[in-house]
Amino acid sequence: MDEIDTSANTPVAKSAAEPAISSVKIARSFSLPGAVFCVAGGCLPSQLYFGSSEFGVYRVDSDAEKPEPTAVSDSKHSSYVTGLVRIGDALISGSYDGSLIWWDASTGDVRHRVNSAHDKWIRQIAISPDGSTVASVGDDMKTRVWNAETADSIAAWDGYELMTPHGYPSMLYAVAFSPDGKWLATGNRTGKVLIRNAATGGVEATLETPVMYTWDPKARRHSIGGIRSLSFSSDSQLLAVGGMGVVVNIDHLGGASRIEVFNWQSGEKKFEIEDTKFKGLVEQLQFGPDDKWLVAAGGDNGGFVSVYEGAAGTLLAQEKTPMHVFDFQLSADGSTLRAVGFEQASVVDIA
Amino acid sequence: MSDPAEVEHRRQALRDLSRRGFLTTTAAGATAIAADMGHINALQSEAVTKQLKQNDTRVILLWLAGGASQFETWDPKPGAKTGGPFRAIPTNANGVHISELLPQLAKRMQHTAVIRSLNTRIADHGGGASLMETGRVRDPGLDFPDLGAVVARELGRLDSQVPDYVSLYTSTEGRRKGTSGVLGSRYAPMFLSDNMIPLNLAQLDAVSSVDHEDRAALRDVFARKFSKNRSSAAVDSHMSAYQRVRGLMASEQLFNVENEPAEVRARYGPTQFGEQCLIARRLVEAGVPFVKVARAWWDSHGQNFETHQELCADLDHTMSVLLDDLSERGLLENTLIITLGEFGRTPRINASLGRDHFANAWSCSLSGHGIRGGSVYGKTDPEGNTVVDGEASAADLFATVLQALGIDHEHEYMVGARPIPMADFGSSPINDVLA
Repeated sequence: MDEIDTSANTPVAKSAAEPAISSVKIARSFSLPGAVFCVAGGCLPSQLYFGSSEFGVYRVDSDAEKPEPTAVSDSKHSSYVTGLVRIGDALISGSYDGSLIWWDASTGDVRHRVNSAHDKWIRQIAISPDGSTVASVGDDMKTRVWNAETADSIAAWDGYELMTPHGYPSMLYAVAFSPDGKWLATGNRTGKVLIRNAATGGVEATLETPVMYTWDPKARRHSIGGIRSLSFSSDSQLLAVGGMGVVVNIDHLGGASRIEVFNWQSGEKKFEIEDTKFKGLVEQLQFGPDDKWLVAAGGDNGGFVSVYEGAAGTLLAQEKTPMHVFDFQLSADGSTLRAVGFEQASVVDIA
Repeated sequence: MSDPAEVEHRRQALRDLSRRGFLTTTAAGATAIAADMGHINALQSEAVTKQLKQNDTRVILLWLAGGASQFETWDPKPGAKTGGPFRAIPTNANGVHISELLPQLAKRMQHTAVIRSLNTRIADHGGGASLMETGRVRDPGLDFPDLGAVVARELGRLDSQVPDYVSLYTSTEGRRKGTSGVLGSRYAPMFLSDNMIPLNLAQLDAVSSVDHEDRAALRDVFARKFSKNRSSAAVDSHMSAYQRVRGLMASEQLFNVENEPAEVRARYGPTQFGEQCLIARRLVEAGVPFVKVARAWWDSHGQNFETHQELCADLDHTMSVLLDDLSERGLLENTLIITLGEFGRTPRINASLGRDHFANAWSCSLSGHGIRGGSVYGKTDPEGNTVVDGEASAADLFATVLQALGIDHEHEYMVGARPIPMADFGSSPINDVLA
C-alpha cells in the first residue's frame, strides 16, 4: 500500500525550524478541463488526481512539460465531482449526483459504488488521519461516515436544519477531521459549525459564524455564502473556518474573503481575517508546519492564495492566481502548493 | 310587466359584459333585454358567451426579475458542457423533461406549455424588461403600454369596483412599476412596493361607515338633481369615479392574507413570494384581470446553482400551490399564468460558477387558460447556444398571450393618427401552445 493521502484538511508534519513566509509566487499554471472542484495527491508530489464539472476523475502530472490530464476510468459520475481523497491505491470520489465511488487508481476499476450515499448533492469528503474512515457531507444536511476499505456505512448524523431561517433549502458544505482523528468538524450555509466526536457522533461543540451567510431581505431576496472550508491545527485545538464576509450585491462573490479561527473547545474566537484585496470565498485552507502560518485560497471571478501568520492572522504574503481556486494540495514541508480551480491549475511556491 | 329590480339586474349583467362590447355594438343583446328574454337567454348568444368568457379571463404574471436560467428551469441540458450539475426529470407530459429543481411543477405539466425558443436579443436589464413587458423595442415616439395595462383595458370593466391591474414588486433590485403608456392613468397599475396592503385605501378613523354612506347618498342626490335635465358625460364620469373609489376601498381586504384560513396560508408557505401569490389568487378570484407578482432577483452572475436552488424551490412550490388552488376553485380554466423575465442566462458557466445575461435562446412558460398543457414549442441546440427550431420574438410571445386571452393581437390602438397594433408588426401567435 502506498502512503496514506494527506488530505487538504490535514496539517502537514512539523518541521524543526520554520522560516517566516515572505513570498507566495506562481511557479507555473496550466489548463484543465472545466471547473476542477477537488484534488488529491498521488504517490509522487507532482502527481495529482482531480474531480471536475466534466463528471469524471482524472490524473495529471503537474511537473510535466505539457501537463495532459487523463481520465482515471471510462466510468463517470452523473454530475459534478466535488470530493476526492486517496488512500493507498484507491480513490474515493463524491458527487452532486449523491453517489460515492471507490476507484482503483491504477486501473480505473470501480471497487465500490454507493449510489444514494446522500439524498442531495455531496459537497465534500474527508478521510480520517489513520485512513480507516471517510466522512461525507451533503445538502440532505447529513454527515455520513463510511468504512474506507469496504464502503460500508458506519454512521449517519443529523444536527442541521434542512431549511435556512428564511425558508429556503440549506446546504452542508464542509467537513474535516482533526489530526488526532478524534474530532470531525462540519459547516453549513448559515455559518453553523458542529464539532463531533468522530467515533460516536456526539456534538462536542457548536460554533456560529453568521457573517459568512448573507441574507438580502430587501434588494434581491435570497442568500449567498456559507462555510466552505475547515481546518484543524496540528494539535487539534484550533479550528479555522473559511468563507466570505458580508456581501452587498449578492449577484456576485463580492464579499471579503473571510477566516475565523477558534479555540473550538472553549468557543473563544482567537482572531478573524477579512481580506478585501482578494474577495470571494475561501474555498480551502490549511495550517502550515507547526501552525506558524495558515494558507487560504479561493476567489470570485479571479482567485488568490494568501498566507497568514498562525497566531494572530497577520498577512504574510499573497498572490493572485489565474483562476478561482476550489482546492489545493500542500506539500509536506509546506513549500509547494498545488492549486486547482476554474479551468486551470497552478503550482505555487511558498517561501 | 317586468320587475324593475330584475330589469336592473339584467342591465347590470350586460354592463358587466364589456365596456366595448355588448350594449354598444350588439343590438341583439339590447333587444333581448328589452324583450325581456331573460338573463340566461341573452347570454346564450355565441358572441355574448365568448365575450363573457373573455371578461372572466384573468392573468397572473410571475415576473422572474433579473433573468432566470433556462438551463435550471424549462430547458435543461444535462451532461452538456453548458448544462450545469442538475438533472432533467420527466414530467407528466409525455416526453417532456424539465430541471430537477422543479419537481412539483413536473407533476403538473398538464396545465403548462413551455416555449424554449425565445430569441429577444436584448440582454441588459432595462432594455430586456421593457421589451418583454411591452412586446416591442422602445420607440422614443411611442409610450406603449405594458401587457398588464393592455389586459386591464381589454378585459377590465369600466364599472369594476376592483383594480384592473395590480403589480407587486417588493424587492428593490430591478424594481419597475409598469406603464400604461398611451392608455392613460386609468390603466396604470396599482403598484405595491413596500406594503402588500395598499396605503391610503383604508377608511379614515374619523369617518364612520354610516357617515361614509350618508356622504355618498348626499352626493348622489346632488348629482342626480344636477343631471336631471342634462345629459352630461362629466357627471357620469364623476359618479363612476366615486363608485370606483368606494369599490377600491372595499377591496382593501383582498390584500390581507390574514383573511385566509390558516391552512391555506400554510399551503402557500412562509416566503414572501408565497404570500404574494396568495394575494394574487384572492385578487383574480375577486375579478382583477391582471396581477403581476415580481420575484426578484435571479441575476446569478455568481453562484448560479445555489441561487437557483433557492429561487427555484420558491417558484416550484408556490406556483404549484397556485395552480392547484386555482384549479380547485374552478379558476384555472379562466386564468393564464405566465412565468417570464427580461432574459435567460448564458450557456457558459463563469469562474464564480455563475451564468451571465443571455437573450438569444431562452424559455418561458404559459399555464392555464387558453393553453395547450403539456406542449413544448421550439428547440435549442444541444448546448443551448442558439435556437434551432421555432424562433420566437417578444412580439410573438405578446401575440400568443393575447390570442390565449381571446384578444385580437392585430387590433390597433390609434395613437393620434398612428395605428399601433397590440402585438408589434409582423408578430404571430405561437399556435402550437394554444388550446
